[in-house]
Amino acid sequence: MKRFFYHLGRLVLALVFIYAGAVKMQDVVAFAGHIAAYQILPYALNYLVAATLPYMEFLAGIMLLLNARVRPALLVVGGMTLIFMAALVSVLVRGLEIDCGCFDPGGGQDVTAGIALLRDIGLMILVILVWFLRRGTVPVSDAAVP
Amino acid sequence: MFRDLKRIGLEACVLIAFAALFGLSLNYQLVMDAFTGHLVTQVSQAAEESAPTTLPLPALLDEVQQVMASGGVLVDARSPELYAAGHIDGAMSLPMIEIEAVLPYFLEHVSKDQALITYCSGFGCPDSFDLGVRLIEAGYQNVRVFEGGYPEWRDAGLPVAGEGQ
Repeated sequence: MKRFFYHLGRLVLALVFIYAGAVKMQDVVAFAGHIAAYQILPYALNYLVAATLPYMEFLAGIMLLLNARVRPALLVVGGMTLIFMAALVSVLVRGLEIDCGCFDPGGGQDVTAGIALLRDIGLMILVILVWFLRRGTVPVSDAAVP
Repeated sequence: MFRDLKRIGLEACVLIAFAALFGLSLNYQLVMDAFTGHLVTQVSQAAEESAPTTLPLPALLDEVQQVMASGGVLVDARSPELYAAGHIDGAMSLPMIEIEAVLPYFLEHVSKDQALITYCSGFGCPDSFDLGVRLIEAGYQNVRVFEGGYPEWRDAGLPVAGEGQ
């Protein structure tokens, strides 16, 4: 049963991050615009983040999908989710009304910061669950996993 | 346990570095243009289809300041709500979404030989370019687009005005 939930959680995270990374890669400029709307980073850094972050999401998602280097991939997606949560909290505190830009940088039909924060909390819980479920289901270290 | 965590952390760093290098290699020009201030505003499909022969040229932050100092007019292409929340100090509001309604008033009060610089929300925002095209079509000869828009101006610590300030 533990094994089932481990693989289910891993696959859900994999698909979420592969999708999130893939849609942002399609329109890096629009994603930079969404990052700029958070009013956290200076002008050019928005582009630097937009040019790299989607590839981190995508690669970590692929590793989770392949069941390879799962814990490093979980650390990456968990770290990114924590950063997203901090950014969303700062948006809520400052009262900015922006789309989160989490999954749809080009369409402008995304969700508000509050809903995105709830979604990120759910993802963070899933990351933690998969991390600990892996300990129970895979006794050998990640190094032994292909 | 500690050795395991150290290894996992190291592997996560390698994963991040690999993905970042891959992303940078694919978007190298875009990032370099952003850092050197030579980013070209994306032209919306509507503007491409109806573009006049003369298109507005981009203006960098220091050029915007020079034009303003010599009496040029800065034009905010964003919505009235965004303008009210915060805009470049001294800028006029000419929302692209209401252009047909507000352009006659603008034409009446701003002479055709006036140097104009349009701006909107920076990255990926086509309104400033579209407005520039529209103003050239309306007869203005000296129209440029400030690519970085309100975010770059504000982040540079330059004067802003509006309710949010």
